Amino acid sequence: MTVLFEDFNDIDDLAAGLNDPTPSGRIMAVIELADSADPAAIPYLAGAISDADAGVRKQAALALTDFDGPDTAAALVVALADSVQEVRDAAAVSLTELKEPAAGDALLPHLGSADEFTLVACLAGIKELRRPEAMEPAIAALEHPSPTVRMQAVGVIGWLQDPAALSALQKAAADVDVQVRRVALTALGFSRTEAAESALIAALSDPHWHPREAAAETLAKSGGAACVSHLRRALDDDYWQVRLKAVRSLGKLGAREAAMQIGPLISLDIPNLRKECAAVLGELAVPETRSFLAAFEHDSDPDVRKNVRWALARIDAAAA
Amino acid sequence: MPLAQTATTVPVVVNDDLCIADKGCTVCVDVCPLDVLRIAETAEGSKTAYMKYDECWYCMPCEADCPTGAVTVNLPYLLK
Amino acid sequence: MDEIRDGIDQIDCDILIIGGGTAGPMAALKAKKKNPKANIILLDKANVKRSGAICMGMDGLNNSVIPGYATPEQYTKEITVANDGICDQAAVYRYAQECYGIIQELDSFGIRFQKDQNGEYDVKKVHHIGTYVLPMPNGDTVKKALYRQLRKARINIINRYMATRLLTGEGRVAGAICVNTRSAEFLVVRAKAVIMGLGAAGRLGLPTSGYLYGTYENASNSGEGYAMAYHAGAGLANLECYQINPLIKDYNGPACAYVAGPMGGYTANARGERFIECDYWSGQMMQEFFDELQGGKGPVYLKLNHLAEETVAEIERVLHIVERPTRGHFHRGRGTDYRKQMIEMHISEIGFCSGHSASGVFVDEHARTTIPGLYAAGDMANVPHNYMLGAFTHGAFAGEDAADYVAEMDFAAFDQADIEAERTRVLAPTKREDGIPPNQIEYKTRRLVNDYLQPPKVTAKMHLAQKRFAEVREDMENAMYVRDAHELMRALEASSILDCADMAAAASLYRTESRWGLYHNRVEYERDDENWFCHTILTKGDDGMPASRKQDVKPYVVDIAEDEKDAYAKQRVKPSVAAE
Ligand SMILES: Cc1cc2nc3c(=O)[nH]c(=O)nc-3n(C[C@H](O)[C@H](O)[C@H](O)COP(=O)(O)OP(=O)(O)OC[C@H]3O[C@@H](n4cnc5c(N)ncnc54)[C@H](O)[C@@H]3O)c2cc1C
Ligand code: SF4
Ligand code: SF4
Repeated sequence: MTVLFEDFNDIDDLAAGLNDPTPSGRIMAVIELADSADPAAIPYLAGAISDADAGVRKQAALALTDFDGPDTAAALVVALADSVQEVRDAAAVSLTELKEPAAGDALLPHLGSADEFTLVACLAGIKELRRPEAMEPAIAALEHPSPTVRMQAVGVIGWLQDPAALSALQKAAADVDVQVRRVALTALGFSRTEAAESALIAALSDPHWHPREAAAETLAKSGGAACVSHLRRALDDDYWQVRLKAVRSLGKLGAREAAMQIGPLISLDIPNLRKECAAVLGELAVPETRSFLAAFEHDSDPDVRKNVRWALARIDAAAA
Repeated sequence: MPLAQTATTVPVVVNDDLCIADKGCTVCVDVCPLDVLRIAETAEGSKTAYMKYDECWYCMPCEADCPTGAVTVNLPYLLK
Repeated sequence: MDEIRDGIDQIDCDILIIGGGTAGPMAALKAKKKNPKANIILLDKANVKRSGAICMGMDGLNNSVIPGYATPEQYTKEITVANDGICDQAAVYRYAQECYGIIQELDSFGIRFQKDQNGEYDVKKVHHIGTYVLPMPNGDTVKKALYRQLRKARINIINRYMATRLLTGEGRVAGAICVNTRSAEFLVVRAKAVIMGLGAAGRLGLPTSGYLYGTYENASNSGEGYAMAYHAGAGLANLECYQINPLIKDYNGPACAYVAGPMGGYTANARGERFIECDYWSGQMMQEFFDELQGGKGPVYLKLNHLAEETVAEIERVLHIVERPTRGHFHRGRGTDYRKQMIEMHISEIGFCSGHSASGVFVDEHARTTIPGLYAAGDMANVPHNYMLGAFTHGAFAGEDAADYVAEMDFAAFDQADIEAERTRVLAPTKREDGIPPNQIEYKTRRLVNDYLQPPKVTAKMHLAQKRFAEVREDMENAMYVRDAHELMRALEASSILDCADMAAAASLYRTESRWGLYHNRVEYERDDENWFCHTILTKGDDGMPASRKQDVKPYVVDIAEDEKDAYAKQRVKPSVAAE
């Protein structure tokens, strides 16, 4: 009779295959150890990270994705320095899959690594583990010449949401690299301070639209009354993406004074922007915008007409 | 009604120099949702995976999970 | 491998879960968690590691209801309206309330959802007042993460057995009969409860490429779930509400509006003009799409070439890596660059799938079917627009309810003759010397589905379909021939496909009105709320043929105002906007 159930083999038996004289035999052992999902396999897979054959090492680095904890992380860090790029790449991806904060123990010592690849991978790996000890090295990494390193460092800092790091993020928000600026601006979103707000306001005049979009969006979280006039100016941005975020943020901030300026945008031929305008006009519920909305009560775009009707109902309810 | 021998090209190609089916690997055969891959003896007496049935959803687990990068998924001719 | 062997085995378990795709694994994990002593079996026709719609991963959750972004009430309204009001809201509302917990659980499995730079969920605004789309940056690891959890929980997994019929007795479910897809050996599983998560009926219509497996759905989902429920006597709801999707032509994969829409991509006609305002997949949207093609304004395209370079690069990154990674190969092969050319789209073949429409095995908010002890979840159960998170969440409901159910139940007795009858049916094609191979039976069925069942639906054509299907059935039952166990699997699939075709025709003929846009566009009839504001329930009649009846829509949990009801109607762009 054909074998019915998937088996749960003894780990030591499976690991015996790691002594196979051929690399392909050892690869098979690594695959079976990974499928076991049994933490007892970790030491064996960690051993396979130093196998003589690059194919085995790569498979081991991939296999460790299925595990967690400091031993897994330590083995992956070893693989980050492998002589073969494919092995290094596999290890870097596996590192981003870690979930247990304790796994960070193995990464913390490498957050000052001189090797750029290791540094990027360890910063990316520790981000979601939210280890407070990572803050200091991450701030230091903001000075690194590589934008990739700086971007990962911003991620680590942003996830920690520690007000002490505000000035570092503020600086990063003025980085020479566009993408570093973009992520740093988004990372400021946890803070409702004047410092965060002013950095975001300044970024509304960034030469590139990505940071402008990020700033317009994040002001919904970090901004107060001071940013409203700046967001209103962003309603004239060349990029609809920036205008859309400005509309959204003005809505979230309850900036009723902007309503009459948002009203006309609903007739532009940019569907995503129109939907957002209708929704925000509803949130703001300023009676004078009723005429802008009423024209689109039977719009052919279902999202627009739905939002418009909702908005009209809110305005009427507010009036009553 | 006897059956005909109509030929058809298959979209998935296995590089038998890279394939380690000899060592008991059946990863691609195992993961294929349509169960269309099999292991065969090569002319030299070793083993390799190959596409036996032309019933492919071009979904790619076979290529993604092969430990040696031996599998290439092309699009079935009829729709490429 | 593949040679036909004679063998039959019988095993017992408390809960048998058929289908280890999306809903099935979650059902198994939840049942085990709730009742650790229960003996649970997860059985799949393929290999659970890489089976089902999400075998390569997913781009994101299409319908997440996350506090702060959307409310359960709003979501329930949207789904009710999108289904022209034919919706028992309890199941939708329960989903909307509990799916956030499932998201967090999936997150703890290592499945990542997009978070912003502060580690908070980053939900993309797409189609509604609420915000429902949550991207999955490592969506390619979904299946791996699920499999890892199943192994950790030590769930018993049986791969490469396909279930063919359910066993019933004492008015409830008693187990299932399964056949090994590589040896044709039989496995009878006695179970106190059975949970079905066999996915969509994806091989019902024939794709325009003519390739039997070039379907939108994972082609291993061939409709056994529907056929098994039908033969066991369960009720199936609203099967006339077909699944039809707007897809990349020939490639037949999603284009995909949920990814490209928020970034400014849209559906356009041959002149590059928008003609539908809302790319959210609905019957109305498909009707407009169809009209544009019929009206000579096609081909219809996905337009991205007006977008900024950074945006196109981002769309490419998402679309070409996860879900259907061969999408990138396809465009490269054709020389299509999103920056320069528009992407030709087309209408998919028809299918049954609640994930994207609303038809399927009738279930309540506990995922219970009309047969005690039998559950269904995911694409094959009738909870509308369920998508992936719906499969996970209703799978969880089924697992939890079944865990309680089996605690106080014993095995139901069934008639041994049912097993013998099924053996005879299954093995018949192996007993012949020659005959018609299953691929020809399947091709003919599906070609006829396209000819006669594809909307717009015409009564006379559907009657012809029934006649032709009966002829094919005659051939299938008396002349189908297979040479090995693999072909036998295809033969059994051909039989499920034919069952589904018969059900599609019967259900479509029964509802004498038009509803759900293109999905049930019956040209001779208008929409008729007076007589047809109801579910249709199809069961196997006493004569062995499909029988239909009406069933009331349950009173709403969340009220829908009069002016909200046309939210999905009238989607055509006004000439002024389309700048004609
Ligand atoms: C191409 C594509 C893209 C999609 N994109 C998205 C998206 O971006 N976001 C989203 O939320 N949703 C998306 N969906 C929908 C979502 O994937 C499905 O709704 C969901 O995965 C369905 O889960 P399920 O458990 O019902 O079916 P599946 O996951 O398909 O599982 C069905 C299982 O049943 C098994 N099976 C079939 N027949 C038998 C039998 N006779 N015996 C035993 N086992 C059997 C199959 O092998 C399979 O494992 C997409 C679907 C597709 C096809
Ligand atoms: S997975 Fe790769 S190595 Fe293994 S059998 Fe298939 S082709 Fe050969
Ligand atoms: S692409 Fe998919 S269906 Fe085709 S052989 Fe590979 S795994 Fe099987």
